[in-house]
Amino acid sequence: MKIGNNMVMELKKSWKGLLIFLIIVLLLIAGFIQAYPSVRAGFEEDLEGQENIEMEIIDENRNVTVKLTWDGWHEKEEVNNYTVLMSNTESFTVPMEKWENIDSPYIEISLEKVEGEVPERYFAVAWEEEERKLVGIESTVDRLEVFQEIWGADITDIRGMISMLWDMWWVLLIGLYLGYVSVNSVAKDFEERRMDIIFSKPISRKQYILEKFTVLSLFMFVLLVITGLVMIGSVGSVGELNTVSSTALFLSTVLSLPIFLVIIAFSILGVVHFKNSKKAIGFSFLIILFQFGLNIVADIAEGLEYLGTYTILSYWDHEAMLVDEVYSMTDIGLIFGLALVILGLTIWLFEKKDIPV
Amino acid sequence: MEKQPVMKIRGLTKKYGDVVGIKDLDLEVYEGEIMGFLGPNGAGKTTTIRTCLGLLQKTAGEVKIFGLDSHEDSIEIRRRTGYLPGDFGMYSELKVKTILDYLLSQSGVSDKSRMKELGERLELDMNRKYGNLSKGNKQKVGLVQAFMADQDLIMMDEPTSGLDPLMQLKCYELLREEKERGKTIFMSSHILAEVEEVCDRVAIIRNGSLQVVEDIDSLKEKMGKKLEIEFENSIDPSLFEMKGVEDFEMDGRRATMIVTSNLDEVIKAVSKQNVLNMSLETFSLDQLFLTYYSQGGNGE
Repeated sequence: MKIGNNMVMELKKSWKGLLIFLIIVLLLIAGFIQAYPSVRAGFEEDLEGQENIEMEIIDENRNVTVKLTWDGWHEKEEVNNYTVLMSNTESFTVPMEKWENIDSPYIEISLEKVEGEVPERYFAVAWEEEERKLVGIESTVDRLEVFQEIWGADITDIRGMISMLWDMWWVLLIGLYLGYVSVNSVAKDFEERRMDIIFSKPISRKQYILEKFTVLSLFMFVLLVITGLVMIGSVGSVGELNTVSSTALFLSTVLSLPIFLVIIAFSILGVVHFKNSKKAIGFSFLIILFQFGLNIVADIAEGLEYLGTYTILSYWDHEAMLVDEVYSMTDIGLIFGLALVILGLTIWLFEKKDIPV
Repeated sequence: MEKQPVMKIRGLTKKYGDVVGIKDLDLEVYEGEIMGFLGPNGAGKTTTIRTCLGLLQKTAGEVKIFGLDSHEDSIEIRRRTGYLPGDFGMYSELKVKTILDYLLSQSGVSDKSRMKELGERLELDMNRKYGNLSKGNKQKVGLVQAFMADQDLIMMDEPTSGLDPLMQLKCYELLREEKERGKTIFMSSHILAEVEEVCDRVAIIRNGSLQVVEDIDSLKEKMGKKLEIEFENSIDPSLFEMKGVEDFEMDGRRATMIVTSNLDEVIKAVSKQNVLNMSLETFSLDQLFLTYYSQGGNGE
């Protein structure tokens, strides 16, 4: 028997779907980057004057008083109707309106101290007229940028924008599709009753699983390499290659591969265990969504940062790659190792099971 | 020289949870023979074949094929065995030729001449997409892939399923030719005429247990002949109380019995009476089959 035959057959039967998906991904990536200049302009306009709040924190033993002042920002006209929104990272995307119809550009807020620290809070002041206009944002904690804190990066910077892309929908978009394709690559052999003939030839179950895994991994690798190159071209076309290096763009893209290898391995494990595509797709999607959700919670929930250790996504530190050009091969190696462990488990399980009719 | 068993099954049991697929099966298939494996749906034919090929994990027992263990040496066994599953599919979006090339290559064979020859012989259009083929043509793809690597043992699960009568004959012809070439064939079927037509021996399975393994001719012989006689006058039934006569029944002047041996004595006993009519009928495989399946009160 020739090694790679199953890989070739997999490509022969599914190349059209894979190609269409690749084209969609590339169009989305290129479109996303092309949209960056206008997104940045929009944010800059929205955030105009964001530094115009002054904050003073007065510690009174147990409680903390925050004094916010924003006098003198609007010079043209007298504004006497402000709203102060308060949030921590958990609720920032839907901030609470704490104080409305304030007529004075000065407010004192009392916060309860938590374990001797000043509570981590964000305050946004908006000027109310026909539409709400942001006066500014301030934080009780000393961080780089409020938006950087929220999104994991400053999204007015292309690196932050790409980082947000990776965080928010890269793994979901690619991961869910890849989970679906991986499950079907094996499940269809069961469900379309090909397994008996495939395994009547001298091929081991181990080789079969390895070939399926390899062909899907190769597809992902090619997709990531092309995406990386398109990313460089696209970032270059909006004149931002002086902000982020081509190497960082390329490597931060390609080094997400081990995450996808884990998804492929989990998906194949699901099929081998359940012997049913619907259940296996459910299993695969559940793992992806759980990882995604856990990552979001770990990112934004106070006190739950440790959960990040349990998500594979946190081991792909694209921010460090894009901003500092630091590539932790240990982290990458760990996820890659995890993919191999799951693959080994899948082979072990498959060798013990009956081939279903 | 005594023929060697190509397949040797001892105490083979396969359970699906609490459900028994086959139990304690003993069977030998010899080199160069065509062994028919008879049984109705659900009797355990497919389970036996799939367990022998390592597609199913056996619960107990031992299967040796070419002297190799079916579990430990499964790959080597499959290198030397062709298989036609009873129910199979293939890549419907691909051409038959592409599929057969792939399967031939998986068997480690590069010479495509036999594949082409079989395709032509079975009138299979290899340039059509598999998904567009009729059931009969799909079965032809199955037959071609089972024989194209020219292996020593061919296992077939319902080989003529979906084939038209003409193609069925071509298939029988192919089976006989393969046998002539020294190949061993183990085929399951529920079509009795087919087994009678091509098989040397038959194994009958019922509810997962083997009922009988016999040479077809001697099996018929063992089953005896049905003798029906119409006498001129009533006779004394004790006349036929002798060795080799079973199931004697008398209905007026008409007597029926199964004669398993001692036919000469029976004829002599008959000759002492005035006989109006007499018939001696050999059991067909159909009757044999029904006899075995009605045993135990669970004829399927």
